[in-house]
Amino acid sequence: MTILIPEDYPKTLINKDGKRIDGRALDELRPFKCKIGVLANAHGSAYVEHGKNKIYAGVYGPREVHPRHLARPDKGILRVHYRMSTYSVHERKSPAPNRREREISKIIEDALAPTLFLELYPNSAIEVFIQIVSADGGTRCASTTAASLALADAGLPMKSLVAGVAAGKADGKIILDCGDLEDKAGSADVPAAVRMIDEEFTLLQFDGEMNPEELEISMKYIKKGAREIYAAQTAAIKEKFDRIRQETEAENKIIEKETKKAEPKPVAKVEEKKEDPIEPVKETPAEPKPEPEEPTEKSEDNKEETK
Amino acid sequence: MDAPMVVSTIQRKYVIDLLKKGKRADGRGFLDYREVKIQTNFIPKAEGSAEVYLGESFVITGIKYDIGTPFPDSPDEGVATCMTEFIPFASPMYESGPPDIDAIEVTRVIDRGIRHGDCIQYKKLCIKAGELVYILFIDMYVMNYSGNLIDAGAISAMAALLSAKLPTAKIVDGNAVWDGGYMTIPINQIPLSVTFGRIEDYIFVDPNMDEELVLDGKISFAINETGQITSMQKSGEASWTEEELIKYSKLAVQKVNDLRATLNLRQYIPKI
Repeated sequence: MTILIPEDYPKTLINKDGKRIDGRALDELRPFKCKIGVLANAHGSAYVEHGKNKIYAGVYGPREVHPRHLARPDKGILRVHYRMSTYSVHERKSPAPNRREREISKIIEDALAPTLFLELYPNSAIEVFIQIVSADGGTRCASTTAASLALADAGLPMKSLVAGVAAGKADGKIILDCGDLEDKAGSADVPAAVRMIDEEFTLLQFDGEMNPEELEISMKYIKKGAREIYAAQTAAIKEKFDRIRQETEAENKIIEKETKKAEPKPVAKVEEKKEDPIEPVKETPAEPKPEPEEPTEKSEDNKEETK
Repeated sequence: MDAPMVVSTIQRKYVIDLLKKGKRADGRGFLDYREVKIQTNFIPKAEGSAEVYLGESFVITGIKYDIGTPFPDSPDEGVATCMTEFIPFASPMYESGPPDIDAIEVTRVIDRGIRHGDCIQYKKLCIKAGELVYILFIDMYVMNYSGNLIDAGAISAMAALLSAKLPTAKIVDGNAVWDGGYMTIPINQIPLSVTFGRIEDYIFVDPNMDEELVLDGKISFAINETGQITSMQKSGEASWTEEELIKYSKLAVQKVNDLRATLNLRQYIPKI
């Protein structure tokens, strides 16, 4: 039990001017930020800030499957582990995994597996670990976004990125990307993720009340939001490779400088090396090779002999 | 970079050969600490939070609280408990599941440093003696493993505790009710820890991942602001002589003082 702090809940979720409680338009996303390559050890990693959601995702694999019996001989398996930090929510979450986390892990698995070429990795597992550092409504969508980015950062071949965003219904109006309060006080919540190559839905849940017309508007909003997130995702990937390019260019400059300093020596060496591949080719047909394991040493010996 | 499950003898030889020359793989001297980067209060729903990088070791700690009953032997004192979880993306060696023995060791060492270091003023965390006290949860999540998690965890735990804000309560009909105010967690002294690694007779501070995977043993000292040692932990199979222990406990006090001065953790206390 914690001390109850009374909050001033707004009576309406949509103001008279058509704006929402945080000043957003009906089809406007919360501030979104993402970055890849944020964890040093993981093969691939991503950090996503979606509203006040703060999420890290890390990828390992393809690697050996533990326990062994889960391995499949015909294709690799994708395993997603969605976990919330104890301090990410208002009431401290128990550190033990619960059923909600298991379910979300499964639906994210289902959303991402069709974007990978799992048939390339028989008997192996690709593992995605998602850690919610701060939760603010819509963590499963933001987690899918982060996980997809982390897979891309791991350098795995992929058919498409996946962008996750939710739609909802508040005060009878359809809204994009529910915040925490809209999630709790609203009358419907449609978390979804879109595979961007063909804009098909690979994650979809629903809870609340909506008629098919409203669902149609939700889908349109979700696709619109997903496109914006996708743009940020691709920018994050480009940003990383720009960073790498700048670093290598800087390194190359240093190497160039150093080679210029020690110029006469390397040039001479290069000339010597040029002779090597030619000479053994000439020699080998004339002399039979008694020791084929050490071709380089042999050829050098020959060279000395001929000299 | 991958942390290998099995460390090759070549890797071990490389580290030892460097140490013999008085060098370390990352270019540090034997008594150089890695750079520490801290950010606090970035998790809106946590009472306090800190993100700490020690080199590439990366820990996020959050503070949550609960109102509960005190222990019968200290009815007028609040409670603080630590937890550490190694997130599987922190290292390929970690698996998901309940905390393993290494995580438990890290937690217990940090917990002892805080508990016995005249750190938290537990009496000020009491709302009604014998009935209602604050229970603090110091939950540490290791996001990236790159050696010396005890020191990184201790810094993050202290930064998070200092950055925390708790709602204050009054008693109404035997229940704790919010009185409209907030308080910081009352802290007397800030204990910090410093760890020495050992390979053969070479002893060095703040082992990184490459060193930690090949070293024979470690020793951690937690030291508070008056220079008192508040907890020690020897881990690994290496044994230590009396002279070494005395020498390195003195060095530890010096290192912790330096660290405390550079970090200036009290800057993270929020204004109320």
